Amino acid sequence: MAATLVDMGSQDSRTDKDADFSAYMTARQPALYRTAFLLAGDHAGAEDLLQNAFAKLYLSWDRIRDREALDGYVRRIMINEHNSLWRRAWKRREHSTDTLPETGAHDSYDDGADGALWSFVQTLPPKQRSVVVLRYYEQLSEAETADVLGISVGTVKSQTSRALAGLRVRAPRSLNPYELNPHESGDDAR
Amino acid sequence: MNSTPLEDQVHDALHRRVDPLEHSPLTVTDVRRRARRIQRRRTIAAGAAVAAALAVAVPVGLAMNGPAQRTELPPVTRTPQVTGPVRIDPRSASIGEPPAVSLVDTTGPSLIASGETVGIPDAYEQITPYRDGWIATVKDEGVTTVQVLDSAFGLEDNVPDTSALTVADDGSRVAYAYYDGIRWIIVDNDPTGERAEETTPLPDGPLAATVRTVGFLPDGELVAAQVDPADGREHTFVVTAQGSTEPIPGFTKAVSASPATGMVAGLIRVEGAESCSAVVDGRARTDGEVWGTCNQQLGPFSPDGQHLVGLADIPDGPSPTLTVLDATTGHPVIDFEVTPARDRVVGILDVVWEDDEALLATYTDGNQQYVVRLRLDGTVERVAGPVTNDDGTVSLRLTAGAS
Repeated sequence: MAATLVDMGSQDSRTDKDADFSAYMTARQPALYRTAFLLAGDHAGAEDLLQNAFAKLYLSWDRIRDREALDGYVRRIMINEHNSLWRRAWKRREHSTDTLPETGAHDSYDDGADGALWSFVQTLPPKQRSVVVLRYYEQLSEAETADVLGISVGTVKSQTSRALAGLRVRAPRSLNPYELNPHESGDDAR
Repeated sequence: MNSTPLEDQVHDALHRRVDPLEHSPLTVTDVRRRARRIQRRRTIAAGAAVAAALAVAVPVGLAMNGPAQRTELPPVTRTPQVTGPVRIDPRSASIGEPPAVSLVDTTGPSLIASGETVGIPDAYEQITPYRDGWIATVKDEGVTTVQVLDSAFGLEDNVPDTSALTVADDGSRVAYAYYDGIRWIIVDNDPTGERAEETTPLPDGPLAATVRTVGFLPDGELVAAQVDPADGREHTFVVTAQGSTEPIPGFTKAVSASPATGMVAGLIRVEGAESCSAVVDGRARTDGEVWGTCNQQLGPFSPDGQHLVGLADIPDGPSPTLTVLDATTGHPVIDFEVTPARDRVVGILDVVWEDDEALLATYTDGNQQYVVRLRLDGTVERVAGPVTNDDGTVSLRLTAGAS
């Protein structure tokens, strides 16, 4: 009889955990999926990142007391995992194939200036890209970004500055703030 | 946030790209399935670590022929104060002073440094004083990260994708390599902060072209090694004080360097289970051996560069013997051997020099680990332990460099 009570207690606690976790997932999945998509650049990668992050959250669920911190926890796992996936992909390319992996499915999406800029963001090294996503999509402060990434505010600043410098170099002239003055560009003036 | 036009454009571009997405592709069942996979992988990894530790275990009583028989070199001519191998038995050894280098006990975790024991937030792989705090490494799923910590071990900076730290015996230099997403960069730092950080970027390349720092040479030079991802081989080179790189040919895997004498030690050949090692003059940049041996694997040089550690030629396993060699000739100066046991793995896992006359070694006996001090006069002291470790990892972690 004692064993049965223990089993029932354990089952109840598992049910509670699953219910809590399920409620969190339902509420936050669309928003976190968007972050995952910006990190991964495609739907398959985003789904994989998010599933992995949710799975690790599920395993740690009972140990996380501060429910307000859950999004940050998931973001941090996704970013670490994103860097690690990128690392593995690079190793695979180096050792086994000369062809780049598929970049995944693409939505129908404006191919104008935003599309160009988005495609340049995708070429940033993973750490710079993570900083760009947290700073300019999640709108986290430098300190909050540093906290999520586990780096110093100074490193956030330098990574941001390098990312923007990289985008300036790669971005088309119409996106370059230093070349927006029509008096400096005959083409733009026309 | 004061935004520039480009920052605003990035913000807008990202939002326009994903705001229309309302995807919820995952169910709790999907997540639970992935969680079970992760848990299984973690269990397998933990089991593999134990298996690896046991697989390299050689029954010590059978494997040892005795250090004196393992070398064909002429008898020692320097400091022959002890004849015959010195038996290390941490249980009966006298208790010595706390270590003069940093020692992490992962079972706390705690740090013993400058004679004091303090609790630490992480079981650092390595840790040594740096500026007003510490510099440390942590390892997660094979990825090493350098952490710069304040005096209370609060995180100040975090550099992922790095090599391990190389720390000068006197703590005056700390070096490591990190990958910045485009290339590997070698950092040679003065822990006091009086000298500016010196960074040497290597040519653009993949993360798989791993770089590690090996040791220091005189005149501000540094020895490092880089993997060629095409064939997996390592290439050893010197980073000069001017920031250029110059190859040192001949090494399969460089192990240590002496800032006192300019010598570099390491493996030069591996054939099956056997290997040969050599010492070369790192300043000459040639593969001309000063001396070589196929009986031992070489370890760190003493701070004065006069001695060098030799361990039994057992790849990746605890060594049943430790020989201190004359660094200029390769002749043995003193031999130490562990106390063998029939049913347990006994051996030396790691060695650092504490000063010119004393070494600190991590000693494993079954699931017990100790740190012992081995002096060139044959004295053996117990410095730390025993701690119990059942997962095959190192629980007592020494970092070279004065603490």
